[in-house]
Amino acid sequence: MKRAAAPLAPYALVLPGFLLAAFIVLWPLWQLGVISISEVNRFGQLRGSAGTENFIAVFTDPDFLGALWRTGLWTIDIVLGALAVSFPVAMVLHQDFYGRGIARVIVMLPWAISITMTAIVWRWALNGESGMLNSGLKHLGIIDTNVQWLAQAATAFPVQILIGILVTVPFTVTIFLGGLSSINDDIYEAARLEGSSAWQTFRRITFPLMQPFVNIAVVLNTIYVFNSFPIIWATTQGGPANSTDILVTYLYKLGFRYGKLGEASALSLMMFGLLLAFTLLYVYLAAREARE
Amino acid sequence: MSRKLKRTLIAWAVLSPLVVLTLFPFAVMLITALKPATEVLSPHWVPSRLAWENFATMWSATNFGTAMWNSVYVGVLSTAIAIAVSIPFAYALNRYRFAGKGFLRQFLLVSQMLSPIVLVIGLFRLAAAMGLVDNVNSVVFVYGAFAIAFTVWMLQSYFATIPRDLEEAAWLEGASHTSALIRVFLPLAVPAITVTAIFAFINAWNEFVIALTMLRRAESYTLPIQIFSLVAGRYAVEWHHVMAASLVATLPVAVVFAWLQRYLVKGLGVGAVK
Repeated sequence: MKRAAAPLAPYALVLPGFLLAAFIVLWPLWQLGVISISEVNRFGQLRGSAGTENFIAVFTDPDFLGALWRTGLWTIDIVLGALAVSFPVAMVLHQDFYGRGIARVIVMLPWAISITMTAIVWRWALNGESGMLNSGLKHLGIIDTNVQWLAQAATAFPVQILIGILVTVPFTVTIFLGGLSSINDDIYEAARLEGSSAWQTFRRITFPLMQPFVNIAVVLNTIYVFNSFPIIWATTQGGPANSTDILVTYLYKLGFRYGKLGEASALSLMMFGLLLAFTLLYVYLAAREARE
Repeated sequence: MSRKLKRTLIAWAVLSPLVVLTLFPFAVMLITALKPATEVLSPHWVPSRLAWENFATMWSATNFGTAMWNSVYVGVLSTAIAIAVSIPFAYALNRYRFAGKGFLRQFLLVSQMLSPIVLVIGLFRLAAAMGLVDNVNSVVFVYGAFAIAFTVWMLQSYFATIPRDLEEAAWLEGASHTSALIRVFLPLAVPAITVTAIFAFINAWNEFVIALTMLRRAESYTLPIQIFSLVAGRYAVEWHHVMAASLVATLPVAVVFAWLQRYLVKGLGVGAVK
């Protein structure tokens, strides 16, 4: 560490970046605060105070309640789905087998592609008349009439969740691979010498030692998935009839399509609060792991 | 059968559903991009011939050049802004002891997680206040500022691996702190800075919601918005053009990302949780 030759030097070095990074969050946040308690027209002009009207309007909108419910489903399903897929995949990729290098590249592939592009490709693959999924499934004899995957909420939303799981897997696998390689081989050796079965080894050693990594993956994925906009927007834009909207797409429509800036700001603030709570949980978990 | 061979069979059997689902969209993208225009709407897998001309016709039909230029412009400038302020930031975090350092680390960790989407209305007002709506520079500014938390975090975790001895030796030989920083430290930090800059660029290249909000005229669209606009709200979509455009927009970045991915994992300290 440098001596305090120039005690202000570190502050001068930090300042420009800190100001810019703080400004880009705090200025919009302050604006949201002002708009959310104001009467505001669709061009963004403030027309006096509205008290808590905007917040109440959000909560009494049936579309909001639908989107809220779906956001819960969306987040829980994708986070748990990615967990359920990633854990065995990471266990397998941690082993030594022929073609492991290729397998790793394939599993990581969706991470390298922008989610918007992935969603656009799926939109085409899922096309009712000309999509390759229908034609592939027909070939295999699984379906005999075309399914209009994205034209109805009953199939569109589950499919979107599946796409969400697919793009979440690579990051989750990466965390788990990091975790698996941190477990000391001696422990396994000892377990083997004690005559522990593969299942016992997994349940008594691998699983508990992986717990912190599972925690981190769950919290980080919850944050990412809750905020995920492109999959739904690029496949259905929340349609048909808002039946696949989650909070982020509903927020976008509220602000930029319906011009209800007051309500949209109120919703933004509430979502920001929720997100902040999750982030603080992550910081707490990360700090706890760093201490141990 | 050897143990490894047996393991290999089990491993690929477990992985196969995921492998199929992962490769499926890539196959769709590639095949559609290479189908002759007349065959695009019939969903067979093998095209009668490979229509390489799709890439040439796509270029003009989708206004690809303009969008690509906008994406390059936004990616390069926003990265340059973020890196320029992040290098001194990360250096200070790493080499100095000062009050408030813990706070700054927490601040970075938290703001790295904040998604711009919940702030998008405020950000739009910011662009309006600066008179930059419909101007790619608004996107440059927002991307640059939002990238800082990530770039500082990456840089400081790499800077920590550069030994101090060399700088200290330079001071002993009478170099000022500034010249030791520029002559000794920065050359050693070039690889870290390059990798960090590439990731910031890729993030900007792929970003969707901010660009969708700020850019309203086709001339200012970045690639994701341009390609999305070819699909959304249209009756007849030229899917072979869309897929060819997605391929060209995606492939170079995907290759670079796949190649550098392990540095991202290391730099973000995902592995350092242990």
